[in-house]
Amino acid sequence: MIGSPDVVAFTKEDEYSQTNPDAWALPEEFSIPLHPLANTNPWAKTSYAKFTKDFILISEFSEQVGPQPLLTIPDDPKVCGTFDLNYFSLRIMSVDYQASFVGHPPGSGYPRLSFVEDSRVVLGDSKEGAFAYVHHLTLYDLEARGFVRPFCMAYVSADERKIMLQFQELSLRFSQASECLKAGNRRAFAKELQRKLRDLEYTHSVLEREEGLQKEAGPQCMYSPHAVEKANELANVEKSIYEHRDLLRQINSYHCHPRRDPHAVTCQKCMTECLSECEKLLDKYAKLANPFSYTVQMGKVEEQERQINVEGGQEGVEDMEDEGIGRRPSYTPQLIKAKSAKCFDKRLKTLRELCDESFYEATVELLKETERSFRGDLCYLYTRRLDKTLRRRQRVTNFLFEEELGVDDEDEGGILRPFCAVNHAADSYTLLDPPAIVLRPEPLELDSLQPPDPLDPASETSHIQSELEQGHLESSPSDHTLETQESSEETKGSFSSDKSGMGPAEKPQSLASVRPEPPDPDCDLTPDPDHNADLERESSSEETTAGEDEGGDQTPVSLLEVVSELEASRDDDCERISDGVCEMESDLLVPLDTACCMSQEGFLYEVSAPEAGSHPGQPSESLVVNQEPQAFLPLQDDYAVGSPCSESPVAGLELPMGLFGDGVSRTSVEDGSDCTMSASTGSERAASPLGYGGLVTLRHRKKAGQGALRFVRQYPFAIQALWCLLSGRTLVVLGSDEGRVRRLVAALALFVPSPGKCGERVQPWLSCPFTLTDLQRWKLIGLQRVASPVGSSMLYSLSRYSRYISILDADQKTLRCPPYRGKLLANIADHRTYIRRGSTYFLNLQSTLCRLAARAFLFTFTHHLHLPVSSTEGPEVVEGRRRCFLQEQLGLDEEDSQILLYLSQLITQQYLQAATGSSAAAPCFSFTYTTSVLYKI
Amino acid sequence: MSSGCPPQSPAVAKSEVAVEGESPLLAATFAYWDNILGPRVRHIWAPKGDQSMFLSDGEVTFLANHTLNGEILRSAECGAVDVKFFVLAEKGVIIVSLIFDGELKGDKNTCALSIILPQTELAFYLPLHTICVERLKHVIRKGRIWMQKGYNIISVLSLEIVPIMELLASMKTHSVPEDIDIRDTVLNDDDIGDSCHEDFLHKAISSHLQTCGCSIVVGSNSEKVNKIVRTLCLFLTSVERKCSRLCKVDSSFKYDTGLFVQGLLKDSTGSFVLPFRQVLYSPYPTTHIDVDINTVKQMPPCHEHTYNQRRYMRSELSTLWKTDSEEDIPPDTVIHTDETFTPDLNIFQDVTHNDTLVKSFIDEVFMLKPGLSLRSTYLSQFLLLLHRKALTLLKYIEDETQKGQKPFRSLRNLKTDLDLTVEGDLNIIMAFAEKLRAGLHSFVFGKPFYTSMQERDVLMSF
Repeated sequence: MIGSPDVVAFTKEDEYSQTNPDAWALPEEFSIPLHPLANTNPWAKTSYAKFTKDFILISEFSEQVGPQPLLTIPDDPKVCGTFDLNYFSLRIMSVDYQASFVGHPPGSGYPRLSFVEDSRVVLGDSKEGAFAYVHHLTLYDLEARGFVRPFCMAYVSADERKIMLQFQELSLRFSQASECLKAGNRRAFAKELQRKLRDLEYTHSVLEREEGLQKEAGPQCMYSPHAVEKANELANVEKSIYEHRDLLRQINSYHCHPRRDPHAVTCQKCMTECLSECEKLLDKYAKLANPFSYTVQMGKVEEQERQINVEGGQEGVEDMEDEGIGRRPSYTPQLIKAKSAKCFDKRLKTLRELCDESFYEATVELLKETERSFRGDLCYLYTRRLDKTLRRRQRVTNFLFEEELGVDDEDEGGILRPFCAVNHAADSYTLLDPPAIVLRPEPLELDSLQPPDPLDPASETSHIQSELEQGHLESSPSDHTLETQESSEETKGSFSSDKSGMGPAEKPQSLASVRPEPPDPDCDLTPDPDHNADLERESSSEETTAGEDEGGDQTPVSLLEVVSELEASRDDDCERISDGVCEMESDLLVPLDTACCMSQEGFLYEVSAPEAGSHPGQPSESLVVNQEPQAFLPLQDDYAVGSPCSESPVAGLELPMGLFGDGVSRTSVEDGSDCTMSASTGSERAASPLGYGGLVTLRHRKKAGQGALRFVRQYPFAIQALWCLLSGRTLVVLGSDEGRVRRLVAALALFVPSPGKCGERVQPWLSCPFTLTDLQRWKLIGLQRVASPVGSSMLYSLSRYSRYISILDADQKTLRCPPYRGKLLANIADHRTYIRRGSTYFLNLQSTLCRLAARAFLFTFTHHLHLPVSSTEGPEVVEGRRRCFLQEQLGLDEEDSQILLYLSQLITQQYLQAATGSSAAAPCFSFTYTTSVLYKI
Repeated sequence: MSSGCPPQSPAVAKSEVAVEGESPLLAATFAYWDNILGPRVRHIWAPKGDQSMFLSDGEVTFLANHTLNGEILRSAECGAVDVKFFVLAEKGVIIVSLIFDGELKGDKNTCALSIILPQTELAFYLPLHTICVERLKHVIRKGRIWMQKGYNIISVLSLEIVPIMELLASMKTHSVPEDIDIRDTVLNDDDIGDSCHEDFLHKAISSHLQTCGCSIVVGSNSEKVNKIVRTLCLFLTSVERKCSRLCKVDSSFKYDTGLFVQGLLKDSTGSFVLPFRQVLYSPYPTTHIDVDINTVKQMPPCHEHTYNQRRYMRSELSTLWKTDSEEDIPPDTVIHTDETFTPDLNIFQDVTHNDTLVKSFIDEVFMLKPGLSLRSTYLSQFLLLLHRKALTLLKYIEDETQKGQKPFRSLRNLKTDLDLTVEGDLNIIMAFAEKLRAGLHSFVFGKPFYTSMQERDVLMSF
């Protein structure tokens, strides 16, 4: 039998046995753990922090009580948990470097104000698991020791790497907040000086009067102790007046002193305003060249005024902030007592009191926005930026499946957008030495900040022109390309493109109605509350785990969309800019060989933005509330079907769009029946912007991801439906329950290539029969099933066009469409998938669609596929080469090839439009006759 | 000296370091908190050269003293190294301070090892911050042992301060630009195989991505080396590019731990000796690419690399602990072993995992006409795909494990659901995900000490 001593003899020291009796063994405190914490759980490295999420802390080094926390953002005790803010304030305030001299310098008669630059420190408390970016600043306070009050603003996080990787962004944001706070403080300080000077002058006049009375009383009174005391008092007041005037002069000279901080961000307008205000004050008090000539008469006047005020119950009115400098202030001077209060008796001003109110509020808002924008897990923040940077380099295909990219967001060009918290224009900003942001590689295009021409008539014209050049559709049952007839499209064409049918002259008016106020450059710099609210909803994966499948799909992917939402919410403002950029880039393009999108060197500008044609006149989300978007929005590309026979481009405007609230009544010329579109209720509306003219943001799409995953799991034939959508075959979702149909449409809309900025290619709810033209315009239609005469005509239209469309019956859970035997979509349409969450499915879908778009790009821009190698080659040979490429090079079978061909067609069309600046011929409405199959669950 | 004057502070010891080229580093300092006198600077390292460019010793001392501000409150665990980072506009400098505890003259003291740079170098320095800090942290671990033994820590710290000065100087002149012109890379060739053999390029890029974008490129021809360096850097982010270095034309830099891609020139004998220790200390496994003989080799995957690295570090510290004399600082070239651990010196292995992602990209990108921006666009699409797949993978695992609360047991499902059934593809995406979420490999593959062979067996069992 083996006893325990024997077992010990066999044991071997390895990584499992940590005990080592060897005296020479390295103590653990000098070693490193074999397995870092991250290896056991990569998500757990910040779990020992006592707070749940990042927050901003404002602290002060009070001359009375020492370091103390003043404010946290968000102002919710739950955020900080049991984290000791007092201790942490002590820690972060004790590293300040700004110990420059304040007070009376040697040899100087007057106290000097010290203009100290901010300092930035990143530090941590590894034991507490808390790390912070700390921005130190000093504010001026007449009552404070040395006239300065040290403060700091700290971004506190449990993730040290997050702070260091985003150091420059944090630095820039906090610099903005600091400059705003300091600008407000200088104003407040100057006003405080003004009040003090008035008090002093008043006191001086009173004392002079008393001295005069004593002189009159006789020489014996002049040398009495009381008189001497009064004389000293008078002298002190005079000295004090000189000192305060000098302080006013100093604060006025703030703008002249050279900044030593190359990373400071200042708003020139704020500076100028503050400067002019101080100058006025200075002028005013400089005029009192001899303050002691504040005559008795003047004093009497003041006295009388004071009496009147007291009698009128207006004593103490001192709202200088509301007074213009030019106006006579209503401040009532106070008599200053000879002995000031003791240091610890006085009440120091709060941070709010130290700063001009509007500046303080703006600073807090700025910090709130900062907190929101940095909220969340670093890896998602980081990926979001990378994603955006990469998408910016492939604008030629972004329109297929990606959201709109703005040009004014912070990621552009590697620096944050200049932001004045009190809404001054961007061009008034000076970044002394724009830092290169670490995570953002592309330099800012200065041109993109130039306010472009708000409306580009040229592009408008081309857009309208393109609509007039729409192809003719004809419903012939041939196997080949069809052109639609001109028939029956007036009404539908007009209701979908009433705006696109406008002439250039109407556009500005229309935009004016979109924006009730004239374009204000300031508004571009104002944080959008909607955006902020969205950001709040988005952010981190930390907040996203629970309840996702119940509809609150708060997943990390949301971080990818935050900036998109920013763009979306600011669309009105950025639109003009992006138009400008597109236009500029278009100029750089050289004419093309339309045969294959490519002809010569430089045909594709590096960062070209071929969406130029898709921007004009896009109304804001807030405007189109009650109507279907198709009634108001121009199609993203020139699929808009204006009536070819319509002489006037504004003909469509004659329809009474927008006058009927929720529903829009129209008359169909084709069938003569009235139909109502989109009578819907709130719950469905909230689910998706589709059909309501709102911009389809990544957030909406991500939410739709949950529906898409459900669809894929629920319907074994989902893959057929997805193929229909991706290959350009219109899918009609038929159902009697509007909510269900809308949800299905919202989910399936993810698969619609080039859905348009506002989902113009998707009709989520249609209550009337559709026509052939609609099939070209809409690639996904939600159709109401009704048991009325209207319903029968709808069914008629369904059967009439059944060879062109696929029909998903939401009630009977069937799908009628051609069979799909490809493999390209297997990954995103596997009903046995183990993906649990909609957000994860959406990420996977994004990857797949990204790959599809890349392949379509490759197919579109591969030279030899589209051009004849020799003059003897006919189009059939070229066509054969294309097919061969798809099948042999890319390994695609027939159905998968159709997807790529369709995507390639869209890219070509989009690209040519952007490149030539005008409308290319609209693609023909084509289909291949294939027998449809009915799929059932 | 009159008796009324206070005693003068002893002069601070200073080492001048000869650095080739312009050193962006103004000084490095070692300071400690004296229990009687407060913060004291013990040693200054400064680059040798035009003194007018640098801070005076007084200024350096002032700054270094202040790095210990507030550290009287320090309550960190014994052995912890905390990092403080200052940007002081008033002084126009950046200071990076590593705060740690150590024994000086029998007392426990709080110490600070700092490097000082001009504020104008902020953008240059920030991408390199992690590299510098990680290297300094390890030398501090060694220094603490030296202090515990009562030896002079300065000699140990100099072992890393000087190379960091050299690294920063070299990066100033030879770092890869943030914006790489695709025309300077292999991807601009008319046809695949023009510059290098098709399979070599595929292997190089694939392995480069599998090792988290960390590669060394060696060769005899600097132009050829740099072309491959730039090509590999196309697949990196801008920050990672700023942490990559081209090779010198005439002579070679030393290998530097922590850089993503570095070009190294072989000597006249046609060889380049890689320091085992430094390569092992790299935060990620490395791909070794020889452009002369077109070979690509790679280190084991992240989890195994980290495990080996940690064991070796422990071994090195243990060796130092056992050193008897102050003169016996083990040089970096010594391979540390102990009873329980003998490092495998054959750390570079053949690339065995095939992939489809890079293969199809390489095949396809050359179909697009060069000289235009088509290939750049296609590259961006490829990178976007990789980043998105990595995020998807991360999210998938996050969902499955409730953020690491439960073990991950569904690798097979993941591979099927995310279309990562080909092993090379999985490796590439895992490498991207590892950079986003450190420790992911160990978490997914379970036992962190699996060798690649064992891991392969595990994967095959699914």
